Amino acid sequence: MVESLHPWIALLIPTLPLLAAAWIAVGYLFGWNRGETGERETAWVALGAISLSLLLLLVLDGLALSGNAPGQIIVGDWLTIGSIQIHLSFLFDRLVLVMATLVAFISLLVTRFSVNYLHREAGFQRFFLVLSLFNAAMLLIVTAGSAVFTFFGWELAGVSSYLLIGYAWHRNTATANATRAFVTNRIGDAGFVLALVFSLIWLGSVEWSEIPTVVNDKAIPTLEIGLIIGGFLLAALAKSAQLPFSSWVTRALEGPTPSSTIFYGALMIHAGVYLMLRMEPLLTMVPALMIMLLMIGLLTSLYAWLAGLVQSDIKTSLMFATLTQVGLMLVWIGLGWFDLALLHLVVHAIWRSWQFLSSPSYMQQVQQPAKPAPAWLRKHPRLYTAAMQRFWLDDLSDWLLVKPTRALAHEAQLFDEQVVDRLIGIPSHANMLSTLSRLEASKQGLFTVANEVGKGRGLFGFIFEWLAEAMQWLEDRLVLPSDGGALMKLVNYLGRHLEKIDHLLAQPRYLLLIIMATIMVVL
Amino acid sequence: MGSSSLLFLLLLPLSGAILIALLPARYPRLFRYTAIVFTTLTLVYATWLLLWGDVTPTETGLWQSYFHTWHSRLGTSFSLGVDGFSYPLILLAALLCWAAILASASITRQTKGYYLLMLLLETAMLGVFMAQDWALFYVFWELTLIPLFFLIDRWGGKQRQSASLNFVLYTMGGSMFMLLSLLVLFDATPGHSFSFANMAEGARLLDSGQQILIFLGLLIGFGVKMPIFPLHGWLPIAHVEAPSSVSILLSGILLKMGSYGLIRVTGMLPHAAQAMQTILLALALIGIIYGGLLAWRQTDLKKMIAYSSVSHMGVVLLGIAALNVNGMIAAVYQMVAHGLVAGALFMLIGLLYERTHTRDVNDYGSLLQTTPRFAFFIIIALIATVGFPGTAGFIAELHALLGGFEAWGWVIMILSLGILISVAYGIRTVKYLFTGPTKSAMADVKDLRPQEMLAAAILTAGIIILGFYPAPLLQLINPTIYEFQRLLLGA
Repeated sequence: MVESLHPWIALLIPTLPLLAAAWIAVGYLFGWNRGETGERETAWVALGAISLSLLLLLVLDGLALSGNAPGQIIVGDWLTIGSIQIHLSFLFDRLVLVMATLVAFISLLVTRFSVNYLHREAGFQRFFLVLSLFNAAMLLIVTAGSAVFTFFGWELAGVSSYLLIGYAWHRNTATANATRAFVTNRIGDAGFVLALVFSLIWLGSVEWSEIPTVVNDKAIPTLEIGLIIGGFLLAALAKSAQLPFSSWVTRALEGPTPSSTIFYGALMIHAGVYLMLRMEPLLTMVPALMIMLLMIGLLTSLYAWLAGLVQSDIKTSLMFATLTQVGLMLVWIGLGWFDLALLHLVVHAIWRSWQFLSSPSYMQQVQQPAKPAPAWLRKHPRLYTAAMQRFWLDDLSDWLLVKPTRALAHEAQLFDEQVVDRLIGIPSHANMLSTLSRLEASKQGLFTVANEVGKGRGLFGFIFEWLAEAMQWLEDRLVLPSDGGALMKLVNYLGRHLEKIDHLLAQPRYLLLIIMATIMVVL
Repeated sequence: MGSSSLLFLLLLPLSGAILIALLPARYPRLFRYTAIVFTTLTLVYATWLLLWGDVTPTETGLWQSYFHTWHSRLGTSFSLGVDGFSYPLILLAALLCWAAILASASITRQTKGYYLLMLLLETAMLGVFMAQDWALFYVFWELTLIPLFFLIDRWGGKQRQSASLNFVLYTMGGSMFMLLSLLVLFDATPGHSFSFANMAEGARLLDSGQQILIFLGLLIGFGVKMPIFPLHGWLPIAHVEAPSSVSILLSGILLKMGSYGLIRVTGMLPHAAQAMQTILLALALIGIIYGGLLAWRQTDLKKMIAYSSVSHMGVVLLGIAALNVNGMIAAVYQMVAHGLVAGALFMLIGLLYERTHTRDVNDYGSLLQTTPRFAFFIIIALIATVGFPGTAGFIAELHALLGGFEAWGWVIMILSLGILISVAYGIRTVKYLFTGPTKSAMADVKDLRPQEMLAAAILTAGIIILGFYPAPLLQLINPTIYEFQRLLLGA
């Protein structure tokens, strides 16, 4: 009886918040929940959905405690690639149940907190729409049974994070930071996609529960396992803001406080750690990557600790503290202490969400001024500057990625304008009537249309024009002039002489002469 | 003869055009309603044929055909047929024509001519996808140019004349190579017929040098339309100057005619395709990166989408060039996905342009507040250009990576780079359009009207449904692709 309900329960857990988001979106599009009057309904829908998800998870927890953990649940087939089946499936093992319950619990708390926090904000509905999306995404990341659906959640979380960083869309810094954060995250996502493709090609499966057994059965070479983990690792580092991707996360704090809490304090920042925990059976096969993980974790912790020492605003220093802790979790994983990492994750998530949520009222609670940067750090001006500048990570990525792309795009544009457009003969990009100012100018008659008749454009156009000009020259000189032109004169001249010859020939003596000449030639 | 349901489907929009020609000019709104009714009928009938009618997917060959000899001495025939490559595109064409008609409420000048030409264009496009005879294919191929020329030239933007002329000249230039290749091939066929099957048989008798030459000619012909990297010059200006409803069809379907033709050619000349595989790959990758970078640089919104089309059609070329099952699936899926995404984007940006009269992204800002409906749909469409999971592009991207890796190995990583670039311009555009301090020029922009919202909603729903539930479309195209692959391997 309970068994047959499993697929439904599993499917509902991430779908409920998604449906809530869809409901709010449709309501907003048609305008029935806009404004302050719609706040109540919006809040109820969002809260109801996440509460139900938590309830369902608690049911599953109860089952697991009584020894009936559902394990892998296959809801249906999603995609068939050759002989590979990708299922729509869910996995509820020990790790997932702990994580999912944590996610649903914190999501519920933050959603409830936001109801008051965002009261009478213009973007109330938008915030709850995106928050519900994020809740769904996070639940999908942890409960999905296959890497493909984890990726669905992974990306959805990225988008909702983008939308919330840009929540205050009037401010340019908010939207610029949102863009930056999203693009940085997409670098990691490219790693995720590659890992998916490698798994499909080499393992023939992307089910989390099947991957370890497949790896053992097929005796997959270590290099290929390493590449698969490497892809996931890249995604995890970007999502958890570890080095060298750390800089986006401090920019992400532009969003409203509840969203900072849930995204960067409590949940999304841990998604990378979760992914690495998920990879446990594979990771243990490639010690080199574990050492790398250890190093990255250590470096990030060190970096975040140093940078955190010199921060003066509460949210940023909390963020750096979070980064230090997440770095430590990676260290535990690198050392092979997976259970410790999970425990650290859970405790840290709960603790940090409390800290973040109370940060707006921190000034009232703490009576003394903030401590200055420690004395030993002030004695090392170089280190101090580096910490202040957050080790120039932003400038580094600008220099390594943004600048080359911009230069390349510039070259491509030049090529298009100078070569392709000229060959094809399209009016250059510059004189297009696309902006408002140009429209105005053309209305006032400042733009005049040059003579277009007989003008060729592009390579073929120029050949064409040149040929036509040559013909025209011929035409002008020889044929067209009213007094007859050169050709007519020539014809007249020739005609007159021919007439003379004709006339002479008509006389008998010349006729006889010709006949005699002919006879002589014949003889 | 076969069943005449395909013929009926083809004649449905044509009869709408004829009816519009006969209607009195006194009631200008009548033309619009007639056009809406006939495009809706075409869409419904095309769907009905697949679900309950006599177009039934089979494991091999054509699903349905209609044959009528045209000119037996010339070897031409009026031969229609559909399979897994063409039917998804027919459905796409019917859907986008319907959306384009709904989105053209702002056309108030000479509505009779406008709607008549739109329906003619739909007929010609359906004809291209249905033709099973190269002569007939060529006729329909050229027939699309006539309505398009007038549509751009009469109802386009400021530089519409040069845009329409350029478009027609360059497509005609390409078609010349195509015609020449087809005639050479026809000369070599023993069966003395232009039918697809017969020409393919004849192609097998040729030596590989000749095959490659013929393939090159056809590649130029279809490459102009698709467009393939150095032949894309006509595309930005044509898209920018065309009225937005025509841009929908241009990028949504006209470009797919090119790639559809290329798939047919690959089936006909497999040896040549194999010999040219590396060149095709290079062209595809260059197109992906080049188009993406240029899209990133454009301040003109329509031009940005036009260049992004170059980039996305590069993925289609990549899939075709892989010459394996996954690559082919990627190509067809990407064609449908890009048709929907580019269609939706051009429609929305076009409607926005009608309200603001500017295409410069810098003139925009803060539209999130004034036009939440626009914001909702444009953000979804831009996210879909990125190939985001849950949108149709992701399925195509996944298959392209798989097929490409099978065929070439690590080179395919460049595709990931291209996708990254697409994120940059997609997200940048969202930022410019919708956020930032409130601008007075953007304060009273009207939001989407119900009819327009319906069209946008259907296209967006298509993008998302195909992303979350790819099974139906895959079922539609898979048998034909496996059959196609069998032919390629047999060759």
